[in-house]
Amino acid sequence: MNNQDAFSGYHPLVNILYFGLVIGYTMFFMHPVCLLISLFCAVCYYICLNGRRAGRFLIWYAVPTLLLTAIINPAFNHQGIHILGYLPTGNPLTLESILYGVAAAVMLVSVLLWFGCYTAVMTSDKFMYLFGRMIPAMSLVISMTLRFVPRFKIQLEAVKEAQAGLGRDSSSGSLWKRLKCALSCFSIMVTWSLENAVETADSMKGRGYGLGGRTAFSIYVLTERDKGMLLWFTFCGFYLLNGSLSGGLFWRYFPSIRGVLMEPLTVSFEIIYFALCMTPLIMNRKEERAWKSLQSKS
Amino acid sequence: MKKFLAIFFMIAVVIMGLCGCHSLNHKPVTLADNISIPQNGVIKAAVLEELKNENKAVTFTGESHNIHYEWVIFGSDIKNTKDLNLGIEIIEVSDDQIVFRYLSDKNFGFSPALSIHLKGLWNAPSASVCEKSNTKKAEKQWAAITGTKQSILNFSPKTQTGTYIITKDVEPNETVLPEALAAQTPNETVPSGTSVDPASNQTALPEVSAAPMSDNITSENQQSSQISEKPQEATLSGTQDISDGKQTKQDQYKTDPIPEGRPLPAEPEEQTPDTRKTYTCTFSIECSTILNNLGGLEQEKLDILPKNGVILAPQTVTFYEGESVYDVLQRVCQEKNIHLEASWTPMYNSAYVEGIHNLYEFDCGSSSGWMYRVDGWYPNYGCSRYLLKQGETVEWRYSCDLGKDIGKAESVNK
Repeated sequence: MNNQDAFSGYHPLVNILYFGLVIGYTMFFMHPVCLLISLFCAVCYYICLNGRRAGRFLIWYAVPTLLLTAIINPAFNHQGIHILGYLPTGNPLTLESILYGVAAAVMLVSVLLWFGCYTAVMTSDKFMYLFGRMIPAMSLVISMTLRFVPRFKIQLEAVKEAQAGLGRDSSSGSLWKRLKCALSCFSIMVTWSLENAVETADSMKGRGYGLGGRTAFSIYVLTERDKGMLLWFTFCGFYLLNGSLSGGLFWRYFPSIRGVLMEPLTVSFEIIYFALCMTPLIMNRKEERAWKSLQSKS
Repeated sequence: MKKFLAIFFMIAVVIMGLCGCHSLNHKPVTLADNISIPQNGVIKAAVLEELKNENKAVTFTGESHNIHYEWVIFGSDIKNTKDLNLGIEIIEVSDDQIVFRYLSDKNFGFSPALSIHLKGLWNAPSASVCEKSNTKKAEKQWAAITGTKQSILNFSPKTQTGTYIITKDVEPNETVLPEALAAQTPNETVPSGTSVDPASNQTALPEVSAAPMSDNITSENQQSSQISEKPQEATLSGTQDISDGKQTKQDQYKTDPIPEGRPLPAEPEEQTPDTRKTYTCTFSIECSTILNNLGGLEQEKLDILPKNGVILAPQTVTFYEGESVYDVLQRVCQEKNIHLEASWTPMYNSAYVEGIHNLYEFDCGSSSGWMYRVDGWYPNYGCSRYLLKQGETVEWRYSCDLGKDIGKAESVNK
């Protein structure tokens, strides 16, 4: 059952719409409840997609980023009416700046996690399918760039081994020798990557990529299920857009904390936002249950 | 079933769209920012009720004998809504005083800010308001003078009945400066051994320490007092260039020539405050010009804006020898728990005050920010370089127009 994400099986349009909405709203909604919803869903989905690796990322990168951002903000921002103390520079340390720092940190970490989910779900073929015809050159470049780092890593290992076989092992010998070997390795890699890029471009040109009238093969079909999902996301998107424009999700941090919290409309926006963020997880759970119920019990 | 769901969602999207537009159209407040006061001055309770519910600030404008006046009333101030008579009648206007009468026969129950827009320019640092019937013993209320071409008198009357008279305050320039000199001398007579006045010029120090200390104390004291007066002498003797706006001879911290009769900047790194010598000065922080420019103020700052425009009423403050205006500001703000943010600016060798009481620069238009005035003069150098002297009056004032609205332009021309 590993990496069986039901949401990844949906049409790329559904995936990109979901991530566009969720990442955009995470960045623009500074309402604390919205931020907590977004963080919670991002953590859940990230763990669901990446399994054990996710836990390591969360502990070693996400939590320190969160703490660091929360601490840095009050050192540079001194607005706010509740003065807690004074910093060595003589400027006040305020409650509002601390809370804003925490909110900004939560926002930053959630966006990072959402992008982590995005790379797992939106594979480069999905990206090419969506943008290949709209902006052919650009999407090829983006796809090649995204693909570049993992390919570079693999190729580096191969080159290293080949060099070691020739007696130019960069892991042993004097410092000078090792440095020389590493440099030659690097030089080979740069040459390879440039050549590879030119070759790819030529190959794509040879196949007539980007010419008018040509179609590309794709395995994606917009089914009724996808249409329903698109409709649901559009509804959520509009509803939340209205919510933020009409001040239903109003929250400000400076100079004093003010905002709407328990208004019925605000609560409805928060419920819809939660439902939007949780959609892939709900889909996964549904799929899992269907799979389990279909298994033969004998 | 699927078709039904799809149609349902379609309808929901359309309804939501309409709802959004609806709430957007309704969000703008129904009460105008400016309301003119009718001839009899009575503002209906219904208007005040609405103001209270919307919790905003509204400027009520009126006119009497060609003199324009404004009340700024905050919705949060209104406790019980009843008809209010905001009218005032200007009885007499002359070059240095105004007599006016409130049309209201009972007090408002709160003290909103009143600003009277004069036709001419009052050349004074501030004004005083007192009841006309007994000018002698009645307590005077301080009023700020703002305005670019025409002076605006700002104050928040405690009571809104009777006849009042507003008079110019005397300019402190001529009177206070010699006083400050005289006041400083008695302090110098305290013998302090070899350590002579640390506030004096560093170049002068070796001279003094070389002088025989065992001779007699009086001569040494005379010498030290001469030295400490040295910076002021330099300015009074007229060797200093007068800034006429054309002079480009600036010092290393981009300071234009100091006008005659004004103290020269003292570099903060050369000062070591001496806590044994204490002096007093009058200190105040006010932002009444924002009340005249409410339209330009950032909406979220309306909550923290002081309703009478005064953050710290003029009061006597103790400071130590060798302290600058910034040192005193910082201490006063910490003692009174007033928010203050400043940043050290090496280019001007001084601290730059960004915000006081959460009112920051640029909060009320692109030309707004904090300025300081000492004895009626806005120094053309930073507040860390102004060495305070006994008896000086320091005012921190918010400007919405690069100082022109708080009387900076006229002091430059002088």
